[in-house]
Amino acid sequence: MSEEKRGRDARFRRVDGLLIALMILPLLCCIALKVLYTPESQGVDISGAMIFLEIPFPLQPLIISESQVNSWAVILTLLGLCLYLTHGLTERAETKRQLAAEWIVEKCEGLVSMNMGERYAGYEYLIAAIMGLSALSSLSCLIGLFAPTGDVNVTAGWAILVFVLITRQKLAGGFLNYLKGFTEPIPLFTPMNFISEFSTPVSMAFRHYGNVMSGAVISALLGAALGGLSRLLLGWIPVVGSIPLLQIGLPAIFSIYFDVFSGLMQAFIFAMLTMLNVSGAFPQEAWEKRQQKKTIRKQRAALAKG
Amino acid sequence: MQSLSIISVNIWQILISFANLAILTWIIKKFLFKPVKKVLDSRRETIDSAYARAETAEAEAEEHRKNYAAAMAAAKQTTDQMISDAAREAERRGSEIEGEARERAQEIRRQAELDAQQELRKAEDEMKHEIADISAKLTGKLLEREIQPEDHRELIDSFLQELDG
Repeated sequence: MSEEKRGRDARFRRVDGLLIALMILPLLCCIALKVLYTPESQGVDISGAMIFLEIPFPLQPLIISESQVNSWAVILTLLGLCLYLTHGLTERAETKRQLAAEWIVEKCEGLVSMNMGERYAGYEYLIAAIMGLSALSSLSCLIGLFAPTGDVNVTAGWAILVFVLITRQKLAGGFLNYLKGFTEPIPLFTPMNFISEFSTPVSMAFRHYGNVMSGAVISALLGAALGGLSRLLLGWIPVVGSIPLLQIGLPAIFSIYFDVFSGLMQAFIFAMLTMLNVSGAFPQEAWEKRQQKKTIRKQRAALAKG
Repeated sequence: MQSLSIISVNIWQILISFANLAILTWIIKKFLFKPVKKVLDSRRETIDSAYARAETAEAEAEEHRKNYAAAMAAAKQTTDQMISDAAREAERRGSEIEGEARERAQEIRRQAELDAQQELRKAEDEMKHEIADISAKLTGKLLEREIQPEDHRELIDSFLQELDG
């Protein structure tokens, strides 16, 4: 009995180890890639993601850059995290990780039902995915990676997914209703409505991208400036002068704001905007009216039949 | 190694990102929410069934208690009945015995009275006889002294009559 139990424990731990490896290894691979491929550079270098692969494709070449690879690594890490948290779930919640998993699930469900209402059950997966992906992507710059959220293409892809969902919600009221929605409150507003319709995903994409990218730019500028200052002030000391001493400390404090706080904030904001835009696409009253109409039609059909 | 410029729009990269988020949504649903919800549901079921069992057990206990109380009340009634029956029986027996005793006592008394009357009569008779004897003797002696029998006869008879009366 105890032998069997010990064997099960050992297997449990082995699986745990594998899952933790699944969480960490992709990020380590990304760091290795970054270290191998980063060109030696001098001075301030502010550019986008490094291109690993460029394949000719119609319209535009298919580019596999750092942001794509890091996104995949983040997704693998999140997959590992999900599997790790849900490994060994029991009814009595014996492990801390189960409490964490339940906390995450319940918080996401609570957030969605609070901001969107009961009829949007099922959106919690998307919200959890957005928060996890965005937060972890932004935080990946803490280990020296290029944050995928600093690439406008990444956030644009997410924003387009949200836009698709918004449009789907609007189409739930019928295609004609959807078209009519553009002419409200008066037909003169139609062009403006069109612009506002498409500005939603654009603003979401650029808000997220801009915040993360500007943080990275400021960090790079600050680092370069402190390096220059260090050379200017301490350059005359023989050995110590070659080390940019002033770069120690201050960038870390800025990083807490620009990378950690701003990254988490933007993840939350992106999720909130998703919820508000999707639930606002087809408001509760309109939905209720539609349900009422449906039931009335059903009753009439039943009466006609009877 | 070439880098992208800081803002460059590439439709394929956008598509990849779109797919990434969709895939991650699926992953989160499949590997995080589903197992956790399953566990939460089964826990809720367990708790519900435990509550249901507790309620039935409570109801059963209440029923048992009621049955027990009823049985106790019935038993108490029976014992009360028995005690009062016994008391009544005892009283009845007591009065019976008392009546018997009284009867017997009266009988004894009557017997005693009868005996006493008989004794009295006997004694009276004896006394009469003795008196008669004594009178006869006395009469004989008187007769011996002065013989006038007619006179004395009258005297003795009246004397006897007086004794009888």
